[in-house]
Amino acid sequence: MSTEQKQKILIVDDSELNRAILADMLADEYEIIEAENGLQGVGLLQQQETDISLVLLDIVMPQMDGFGVLEVMAQNHWIDDIPVIMISAETGSSHIERAYELGVTDFISRPFDALIVHRRVVNTILLYAKQKRLVGMVADQIYENQQRSSLLIDILSHIVEFRNGESGLHVLNVRTLTELMLNHLVQKTDRYQLSPSDISMICTASSLHDIGKISIDEKILNKPGRFTDEEFAIMKTHSMAGAEMLENLPIHQDDPLVKVAYDICRWHHERWDGRGYPDGLKGDEIPISAQIVALADVYDALTSKRCYKDSFSHETAIQMILDGKCGAFNPLLLDCLRDFADDLPTHMNNSNSVAQRNLREMRNVAQEIHRHEELTASERTLQLLEHERMKYSFFADMSKEIQFEFTASPPMITLSNWGAEHLGLDEIIMDPLHQPEARKVMDAADFQNLTDILRSTSPDLPVVTYDCKLNYKGAWRWTQIVARATWSNDEPPRYTGAIGKAIDIHDSRMKLASLERQASHDALTGLLNHAYAKKRILERIESRPAATCALVIFDLDHFKSANDTYGHSFGDQVLVHLAEKLRQCIRGGDIAARAGGDEFLIFLEYKDDVEAVISRIFQSLCGRFEQFPLSISMGVALTATVPGGYDALFHAADAALYTVKRGGRGQYRFYDETMRETLSAISPIDGDETTQEPD
Amino acid sequence: MTLKDCYAAMGGNYEDAIGRLRSERLVQKFVLKFLDDGSYDLLCRSLEEKNYEEAFRAAHTIKGVCQNLSIDKLQASSSRLCEALRNGYTPEADALAEETAEDYRQTVAAIRAFQEASVG
Repeated sequence: MSTEQKQKILIVDDSELNRAILADMLADEYEIIEAENGLQGVGLLQQQETDISLVLLDIVMPQMDGFGVLEVMAQNHWIDDIPVIMISAETGSSHIERAYELGVTDFISRPFDALIVHRRVVNTILLYAKQKRLVGMVADQIYENQQRSSLLIDILSHIVEFRNGESGLHVLNVRTLTELMLNHLVQKTDRYQLSPSDISMICTASSLHDIGKISIDEKILNKPGRFTDEEFAIMKTHSMAGAEMLENLPIHQDDPLVKVAYDICRWHHERWDGRGYPDGLKGDEIPISAQIVALADVYDALTSKRCYKDSFSHETAIQMILDGKCGAFNPLLLDCLRDFADDLPTHMNNSNSVAQRNLREMRNVAQEIHRHEELTASERTLQLLEHERMKYSFFADMSKEIQFEFTASPPMITLSNWGAEHLGLDEIIMDPLHQPEARKVMDAADFQNLTDILRSTSPDLPVVTYDCKLNYKGAWRWTQIVARATWSNDEPPRYTGAIGKAIDIHDSRMKLASLERQASHDALTGLLNHAYAKKRILERIESRPAATCALVIFDLDHFKSANDTYGHSFGDQVLVHLAEKLRQCIRGGDIAARAGGDEFLIFLEYKDDVEAVISRIFQSLCGRFEQFPLSISMGVALTATVPGGYDALFHAADAALYTVKRGGRGQYRFYDETMRETLSAISPIDGDETTQEPD
Repeated sequence: MTLKDCYAAMGGNYEDAIGRLRSERLVQKFVLKFLDDGSYDLLCRSLEEKNYEEAFRAAHTIKGVCQNLSIDKLQASSSRLCEALRNGYTPEADALAEETAEDYRQTVAAIRAFQEASVG
């Protein structure tokens, strides 16, 4: 954060004059933002939290008073980082006490002295800035120390290897394999009681296993052929020599890392059967750290090219170790090795490339630390955060979606830039349930429902989908709101609000509705079609099994001749006319449909005198359309007399209709037992009237 | 008419204001700004509507502003009114509101006179 940029002070006071006096005193050195009540102040804090260096806060204010602001600041932990100076005409000690309890840094009572206010503001900001810097420095120091110590260890082991004429990868390979073995071992057994920090320490210390070689004559170290007995005896001293170097360190004697490194240096050539050197320890007399490094050392020596030997393949190396060609090892460790032997080459390659990268990075770290003295680790975090924010707002703008963030306390909605514009709202809406503009956009009941649903979610299942209408600058459109409730990490978790987006689904929803309508209605008459009517009738029968109902089927007599004489479009007009009359003579709850051709269907519920109902309908359907007389044949079946559900009912009404047709048309009949064997009038639904009719 | 005369006319403490705010320019600027402050209108309206919570806040704001500017007379009456309204309506409030109104008129008259004198 550069020092040229002015630090920001938020003044929250309901009197413009009071704000102006304070602003005037501070505007030269600080950037001033103002809020005229507590709620607005909280909104600004939410929006610019990390930018605000200090808050000057009044107590008595509309909407939310100063204490309310302090409570919200405490809830969100803002008060930990943003100092608050309270300025008030309230001088009662209870007020002052409460203010301090809620975490204010200072309390200034009116009337105030300009110089004092100014001085206290400056002091408080300096104090907090210093504290922040100290926190940052401590964090950076820890980070830097860790970087430095691995850097030093790497440099040290490099020196050893350089003298040794080795590739520089030996130390890394041993470390990688040591880590693999350790992690595998702790999964297999708890015999050695190794904590994650033990593991990390052993891995680091493993890098030092060969430091004793620095005391060995280079001629022996790099001799291409076999050692003489004498030379081998000298070579063998490197393990003890390394241990002694560590033991004689003038400082850090008690450092656990030094102790572990000592064990590894001294005993990484011991063997399980006691035939190693220098001390001939047996079994678990050898510390587990040294046992593992020994195995890793052997594996890497076998698979690497040395001045005295070629490299063996991975498979050969494993086999040689398992066969005891390189001395005896802890059977448990051999089991581990066997377990992951197949994956080992991949692991080693991956880790090595990572390790090499780390190495490169480490070489650069020291330089970078100097080059970017300003750019410390904690500031990097802030930059990353800033970057994420920028990314988020860019994508939010690009996506042409209404995205929102809702905080429950205090109730506040933050809309994405595009969303706010699209809905004709401000980006920040305080107390949306009572804000008039926001209420115009979303129905209060919908808002309440949605917040209730969000509140009733759980941290495991926080996502909610809610369909409702929103007002887009005057046009109500169906919208799907997908939101994720946010829960705090407290125990029990606390509902804190939601994030989400609103998707305009109006067009697709309208299209669906129209398709549904098309699928369920007859295009010519606008009545239900047969299939959909059947579905509705089945639902009705199921939902009201005790009701007495009638199924009526009727058709137009001599309709074919109307078509033949006056043409099909006249025929269509007749059907539309009849459908209209039908609509007029039935009641709201009745179901009317065009069953096909000139056949129609009615399903109705009746109380007692069904005959009167049917007669009335029959009479109103008869008449004349232009020159064509409307004569109707109608069959009726009653649920009271025809058991067996819809199909039986339909069949019975059909049989009654057939009976009418055969009996001279132009009347209605109720189904009775005598019609049991009767043929169907409309079974082949599109059947030609003339072929069906007896006359 | 000087700013000092204006303070005398409205029953304020000129020396105190200058002492605290450290500059005649600042005091003059804010005293003139007092004319635009809406708190008094809000007070009258709230009292009329019997919204005593709002009236309390308005009286409180007037008191605060007067404290900042050392307009002592109006500060004293508005402060008493404020206390009379702190926990809702009390019978004393009516008389105190009248007193506050009287002091407010006196203050505004003084500032107006000063404004005209300094413009002219």
